[in-house]
Amino acid sequence: MERCYSVRRAAANLLSALLLLAGVAFSAPPTERLVLIVSAESKVEQLDSLEVRKLFLGMTVEHNGTRLSALLNESDPVIKEVFLQNVVAMTETTYDRRLLQLALQHGALLPAVYTDNTRLLAAVVADPAAVSFAWYRDVAQDKKIKILRVLWHD
Amino acid sequence: MLKKPLRAPLAFAFLCLCAAPAAWAQHQHGSDVFEVFYAVEAMAGSGQSHPSEDDDTYVNADILFAASTHQFRVLGELFVSPEEADLERMQFGYEFVPDTVLWVGRFHMPASAWNSEHHHGRYLQTSITRPFIERWEDEHGLIPQHITGALLETRQSLGAASALQFAGGVGASSSWGDHQYEPVDLIGENPGRHRTSLSARLAYLPEYEGTSSAGFLFAHDQLYTTNPQLLNALNSAHVVLTLSGAYIDWTVNKWRVMGAGYYVNVALDQTARNESFISAYLQVERLLPHELTVFSRVEDSARMQESRYVALFDDHDGDIDVALRRQALGLRWDFVRRQAFTVELSHVATLGFRSNEVRLQWSGVIP
Repeated sequence: MERCYSVRRAAANLLSALLLLAGVAFSAPPTERLVLIVSAESKVEQLDSLEVRKLFLGMTVEHNGTRLSALLNESDPVIKEVFLQNVVAMTETTYDRRLLQLALQHGALLPAVYTDNTRLLAAVVADPAAVSFAWYRDVAQDKKIKILRVLWHD
Repeated sequence: MLKKPLRAPLAFAFLCLCAAPAAWAQHQHGSDVFEVFYAVEAMAGSGQSHPSEDDDTYVNADILFAASTHQFRVLGELFVSPEEADLERMQFGYEFVPDTVLWVGRFHMPASAWNSEHHHGRYLQTSITRPFIERWEDEHGLIPQHITGALLETRQSLGAASALQFAGGVGASSSWGDHQYEPVDLIGENPGRHRTSLSARLAYLPEYEGTSSAGFLFAHDQLYTTNPQLLNALNSAHVVLTLSGAYIDWTVNKWRVMGAGYYVNVALDQTARNESFISAYLQVERLLPHELTVFSRVEDSARMQESRYVALFDDHDGDIDVALRRQALGLRWDFVRRQAFTVELSHVATLGFRSNEVRLQWSGVIP
């Protein structure tokens, strides 16, 4: 009976510790945020999820008379994975095949790929029609970049 | 079929290959397309007269290039193999509004469910073989696949997420050659005799930017021949081919179903000699772990065996036989990015005999 009581108390303590940890985890501010970005000069104020998906599949998206162009940010493996899972909702193979299909079927253009974050941000700043994505911490202080919305946060 | 003279297409291919590094460099900063789809294939069969020469060649490359500036587009597809070098598509387009493009040039007829999806790029089709009814003209295909003229493609939203897609083309049809159609050749010689072709597809897409679709197909080809052999066989210099059909290409989780059914009416000068036939196929694919895909396809037909018109495509002393039925089973392995290895087993019933085949294919895309 005594042993049964101590086991119960240990289980209760463990549960409390887990709840505490979970509480800390849920109340912590997000540490990573993936944001949709355009140049500060861009006329684009917002893009919905369908427009973002179309854009990054090479389909035509027009906003205020401007044809937008997608720039793929592949500056680190995590950002690419987050983009694939949360923006286009495809595996890397499926996304690649879909781009090839649309190019083969309709001559859809492939999004330009950037593996260097500095060059990507410079390209976004230079082209008011360019749309890309980046970590919030990399663009939060950049006055030449406009953040449209959060695409994902952890 | 060897196109003569070959100098022009080979020079064009060389130009494309020389332009590849420049095009790829542009891709890093711009977004033009330059992709080379290639395939290497081996096959063995029993019961065939010419098993090694059936279908496409043992090695081929499909060079795709596309560029865009403002609302103007250009799209080309050059297919090269040891037996041919042909500019399969060359289209110049103007996009009036997003996803509405008017093209002029040579294009694939939109009423072909399979070829509108895969064109000549082998890597993007899961199976090695194409259904017989979807074969190209130089493979003794029964339906003309290329039109030279104008093509309108449009996709319009339907509700919150779905869409309607329409593609309609009109232009010069194929003419009749030796056991096969001869479409307008952009870089070779054209003997003429091309009449009018109409082709259309209307499809429903559950997701605007998704891969699933289902719809209706229609084509109308006027064909003309002066070939004495054909005149004797058909007792007609004119043939009006009318195709109507339906298709589905649906993906649900790890399953994909592709199917099409075509009713083909063959109208001749003497209406009493008119005939018709039906051809259909259904392919089911299932994704498996480790980048494997298993697939199976069943093709069947009705009244093709009795058709005098279909018999004209049977190359009795050549390399290609008209298939009436086929059952195929295969496995594809995407072993690394843009590279796949496929094995396919099939049983084929042609106009003359039955055969079993095993095919192996390595396909991929560069870069």
